[in-house]
Amino acid sequence: MGDLLELDGLTRRFGPLTALDDLSFSVPTGQVVGFLGPNGAGKTTTMRAIFGLTDLDAGTVRWKGATVGQAQRRRFGYMPEERGLYPGMLVNEQLEYLGRLHGMTASDAAAAVTTWLERLGVPDRARSKVEALSHGNQQRVQLAAALIHEPELLVLDEPLAGLDPTGIDAIGEVLVERAREGCCVLFSSHQLDQVEDLCEAVTIIDHGHLIVSGKVDDLATSGPRRLVVRVEEDRDAVWARSLPGVTISEIDGGAARLVLEESVDSQSVLQTAMGAGRVTEFVFERRRLSEVFRGALA
Amino acid sequence: MNVSLFLVVAAAVVALRVWLRRRRRANGPQSPPRSAGGPFTGDVGLIAWREVRERIRGRILRVGTLFILAVVAAAIVIPVLNSGKAQPERVGVVGSLSAPLRAAVVASGSSIGVTVHLVAETDDQVAREDLRSGHLDLAIVDGRDLVVKTAIGPGDTSNTAQLAGSVAMTLGVATAYETAHLSARQVSQLAGAKPLPVTGLQPGKTEGPGRATSVVGLILVFVMLTQYNTWILIGVMEEKSSRVVEVLLAAVRPVQLLAGKVLGIGMVAFAQAALIVAFALVLAKAVGSELLHGTAPLVLASTLVWLVLGYAFYCWVYAAAGSMAERQDQIQSLAFPLSLPIIFGYIVSLTVASSGNASTFFDVLAYLPPTAPFAMPVLVGLGQATWWEFAASAALSIVGTTVVARLAANIYRRAILRTGRRVKFREVLSPSTR
Repeated sequence: MGDLLELDGLTRRFGPLTALDDLSFSVPTGQVVGFLGPNGAGKTTTMRAIFGLTDLDAGTVRWKGATVGQAQRRRFGYMPEERGLYPGMLVNEQLEYLGRLHGMTASDAAAAVTTWLERLGVPDRARSKVEALSHGNQQRVQLAAALIHEPELLVLDEPLAGLDPTGIDAIGEVLVERAREGCCVLFSSHQLDQVEDLCEAVTIIDHGHLIVSGKVDDLATSGPRRLVVRVEEDRDAVWARSLPGVTISEIDGGAARLVLEESVDSQSVLQTAMGAGRVTEFVFERRRLSEVFRGALA
Repeated sequence: MNVSLFLVVAAAVVALRVWLRRRRRANGPQSPPRSAGGPFTGDVGLIAWREVRERIRGRILRVGTLFILAVVAAAIVIPVLNSGKAQPERVGVVGSLSAPLRAAVVASGSSIGVTVHLVAETDDQVAREDLRSGHLDLAIVDGRDLVVKTAIGPGDTSNTAQLAGSVAMTLGVATAYETAHLSARQVSQLAGAKPLPVTGLQPGKTEGPGRATSVVGLILVFVMLTQYNTWILIGVMEEKSSRVVEVLLAAVRPVQLLAGKVLGIGMVAFAQAALIVAFALVLAKAVGSELLHGTAPLVLASTLVWLVLGYAFYCWVYAAAGSMAERQDQIQSLAFPLSLPIIFGYIVSLTVASSGNASTFFDVLAYLPPTAPFAMPVLVGLGQATWWEFAASAALSIVGTTVVARLAANIYRRAILRTGRRVKFREVLSPSTR
């Protein structure tokens, strides 16, 4: 699958502060891509730049190879970090209005509102004012606003913030489903466990720079191999201390987490462990996304 | 009047359709198909229609319209009721009063718009009793003495005071004739004297319904401009503070959002003004009010035109100001300086409409876009504006509006997405934008 969204050399300065510093990356179609970075890394500015909500000092945003303009943005869906809906307007009318601003007919917009409110679990709030909804339901309506016109690109800034597990599951399902239908999905979050569950790929930035970008599987298995070995008769892993090319990173409940250098043969490690006692656990471990994140920013 | 209304509405509809067609062409084939159905199409139309719908639903518009209608109804009906209550002045006559003098007394009443009923009284004492009880307003004793219930002060403008003054003068002159021993023919000649015509070098003060309508129109323009400017100011500020503007601007351009908002609120304003004027016309006709006679319909039409032009000028200014604020307290500090030209134009125009005396300075105000919406209808009401002066002032206002709209759109575009604190003018005018 090709890259649909390309961010090329984005630079944005706010006085002495450089929020985006020659930032380039792309988002492929059909994937949920997590957009990660510490607070102030430039995630929101990047997302706003995609929608022309902040002027760039340099750089280009391209969609299917063409510079993004209003016509392209009509086919994008956006959920800003600071939610934005008319507090005193009815939910269904507000969603229909936003759908029509994205080019839908009145009847299509009305049908889509019914579909999406049902899909997101708030069908009975169609005639409620937004200000009367709970935080979680407002969040669902906000997501519906981004989805109503079946966008080709979905950009969501912290869509999971403040949601209960049910809400996270509901929104997660929708994002994965949209990606499977060919939509490009880019979303930011600080909840790395959820990102790991939902995303096939992540992009990590810091200080407006790209730090790392790639598939979650590749990032989790990249770098030195990690091995968890438990020897019942040697719970302090004395057996591993003298192995060349092997470092013990942690001993937890009798299980030793080992980091192997490139040249080390894992079979020889197993044989040494078996020589020390009964081996009840011998597993190659993936890096958690949180470790990838911390490692990337270290 | 109705023709003017029709022309203004028709011109607005045609302009809107031409603009929409040009915009569709400019967007080219990449633009997605627009919605079918509904009263408005296109982004600006959709945004405007949302404004119209939300405002019509709001209680503020309904209550405000009813309040203004009630005030207009009172302004039309109360003078009619008061004029209907005017009672004839009852003048008691003690002793003899010649027929020419009786006629002169009645004529004195007519000259000040009062009907006089002469009542024969048997004697001075009875006449005084009738004065005390209110059966008489004035008594003439032997053609030489006038008696009223309460002494007339220098500032008294009541019908009785005016009538007493006029009759006193008439009888005083008659007494002087008599003392001078003029013949009956000479007296008759003097009584038939007619005032000489007086020619003015400049138009004089216009009295009557035109000026009264000017005052009513001024109040209408002031109240409505204030109300709708406040709507724009708060509406833009709320879109910014609720952050919905980010969602909207992800789909439409800032200038479209701004244009839709001012167009929508403008349509509500014009509809409300048209309703009020139509109500005033129908009610005034029904009760036979003097308020719409003479130049008054022209003044009302001019008021409507200037309400539209005034709104068109100020709406951009207030929208730009709203885009710089995020909270109510910020709104107040922004709104005050903006309201100064409106208040100034209103007060000066109200003073001139009341006095009927327009100075050269006021003529200048009638050509300045910020004050013309108040000053020009007053000049029309005073009969001191020709059609080409009216057109020139309107043209200047349109030019001024174009300049202000461009500047305001620029400020709006730069300020609307700057959040966290009130935006300063220096920031929106600096090269770094948003």
